[in-house]
Amino acid sequence: MPPTNPQNFSVSATTRRRFLQASAAAVSGIVLSNCARNLSGSNAPGTASPEQTSSSPSDSTLRIFTWANYTDDELLKNFKDKTGIQAIVETFDSNEAMLTKMQTGAGKAYSIVFPSDYKVEEMIKMGMLLPLDKSRLKGTENLMQNWQNPGYDPDNTHSIPAVWGTTGLIFDPEKVSSEVKGWDYVWDNVDQLNRRLSMINDVREVFGATLRYLGYSYNSTKASEIEAAYEKLLELKPAIATFLTNGWEDQLASGDLALSMAYSQDALNLIQESPNLKYIVPESGSSLWTDTMVIPKTAPNPDAAYEWINFMLEPENSARLVERLKISTPNQAAYEKLSSDLQQNENLFPSKAVLAKCEGIVPLPSEVTELYDRYWTQLTST
Amino acid sequence: MSLTTTPSGAEPTRARSGWHPAKLIQPFVLLAPAGIWLLLLLVFPTLLILELSLIPGFRLGQPAGAYGLGNYLEIFQPVYFQVVLRSLFFAVGSTLLCLLLGFPVAYWIAIKAPRRWRNLLLVSFILPLWTSSLLRAYAWITILRPSGLLNSLLGVFGLPGQDWLNRSPAVFIGMAYSFLPYMVLILYASLERLDRRLLEAAADLGATPQQSFWKITVPQTLPGIAAGGLLVFIASLGDFVVPELLGGASSMTVSRLIYNQFLGATRNWGFGSSLSMILILAVSIAIALLLKYGDRSSAQP
Repeated sequence: MPPTNPQNFSVSATTRRRFLQASAAAVSGIVLSNCARNLSGSNAPGTASPEQTSSSPSDSTLRIFTWANYTDDELLKNFKDKTGIQAIVETFDSNEAMLTKMQTGAGKAYSIVFPSDYKVEEMIKMGMLLPLDKSRLKGTENLMQNWQNPGYDPDNTHSIPAVWGTTGLIFDPEKVSSEVKGWDYVWDNVDQLNRRLSMINDVREVFGATLRYLGYSYNSTKASEIEAAYEKLLELKPAIATFLTNGWEDQLASGDLALSMAYSQDALNLIQESPNLKYIVPESGSSLWTDTMVIPKTAPNPDAAYEWINFMLEPENSARLVERLKISTPNQAAYEKLSSDLQQNENLFPSKAVLAKCEGIVPLPSEVTELYDRYWTQLTST
Repeated sequence: MSLTTTPSGAEPTRARSGWHPAKLIQPFVLLAPAGIWLLLLLVFPTLLILELSLIPGFRLGQPAGAYGLGNYLEIFQPVYFQVVLRSLFFAVGSTLLCLLLGFPVAYWIAIKAPRRWRNLLLVSFILPLWTSSLLRAYAWITILRPSGLLNSLLGVFGLPGQDWLNRSPAVFIGMAYSFLPYMVLILYASLERLDRRLLEAAADLGATPQQSFWKITVPQTLPGIAAGGLLVFIASLGDFVVPELLGGASSMTVSRLIYNQFLGATRNWGFGSSLSMILILAVSIAIALLLKYGDRSSAQP
């Protein structure tokens, strides 16, 4: 880790800040990036531009930093057979954890990262991503209309969408007292649910869903609206068992939880094991998320990264991945290669009417996220 | 160099008594590896956290503001105060539970159990420490959930089912299970050194077993109780996994709050650092108490 990394701290001349820079860099260098340094082998450290590092000796390996269940052995094997590049996958469990690792230099071994939409926007602003050279990409014209010019990265200048999905509710239709169409059911049955609802452990998703239920934006920045959502969630508190992003699956399958708020991909994987469960996108609207592929500026092997993106853009590869991992692809040509069963699966590919009610989560100014966080702490401690 | 060479050349006898080079090098050789380790991985990071905690609203990737106490003042908001209180509640409760469960076990192993079984019994108590705390917490979910193992067992005996998961009882159970081995080990060490002649003398003088337990055994093992209690208190105060997975929707603790500040949506590292400093301070006070009351224990025969 070089002592001055403009991504980490403002470049300011005061001595204190310089101490801070140096000390933070040193600590992160010692504590966090030791593994990464060992892993990245003999690569020159840090700030070296991609042009300089592209000739590094690790041309035959590509390190990928992604979410769990987004790749499998077969995909990596096919990639190796086709390009001769050995892809090594490491996973993260939240965008924030990923960003911290990238910012502190611990992530400089990765040439491909899979941030979500709103994180792409932030990372572009921070200058962490390599602008994509469109002449080296093949197959971007196959992307669905919605992802040709996405709001988080207009024209896909820095990112290529890889996977998308929704946030919704999963439940056993036999065990709910009336048909569940959305969040109304939950608020109408607080007493009956009595700590048998689990929600995602993410402040923006929980508040966003509530804001939508109240008729506001998923990304509201108005203090009065956020407070109204907090009051509404307080009403729901007796129904909430826990806030878990993962770990609710067994409890739902065994009936100890009646409903869980979940990401569509996690829900679909559980439904494969327990087909009696049902997933819906709430009527009032929900979040639509896209996880993308980006090349960080620190990437040791951008050439292999382009190979990877092109490989993933090939309709055949995406289509097989949808079949194996039950993830939604933004690739129209891949979609057309799927069986009609999968094409008509409303959970994988919701109708236009459902998608029209969904919003993407967007980055908010820090005063607003702090307000959300304070209400979140209040909610989880009363 | 001059100190070491001149006296040893001039007076060989004195060299052996006080000025041998090995005497000067020895402390460095013995202390340096751990010392450098502690300096780089404990002292230095703690100082860095201290500095970050003094910059209100510090965020990674954003310009740092001026120094100030804003992060510390923020802690005094009622909502964060409540979080601190809940952490203390979990820690104190788990400590008492460990003491209640651990003392009889340690007493039995140290005093009643056959001598040749003692080591085996102790090892079997430490076994849970060999598995990951995350796995243990997930195992407790399976046991404690309403249709889980515990309620099936209770049902067999015709007892009413318990709904403990996602509430405080689950946190106490999870923490007590995690930290009980520490308590048992320390109490065992303390009870093993119990002067049994005093117990015999008390019995000769007509004390009932109850009287001699409260008047002799407990006072003699008090330093062990204090040491074990403080150790469990420290460990449970900073525990993250158990409240996160078992505590349910109302179990925000200081360690979870710190996690949220560093890796959550706000990424307010300044406030997170001030919370960390408070936690470090609380643990330091506990350790200071431990040293003070632990001394007597080692001074005893």
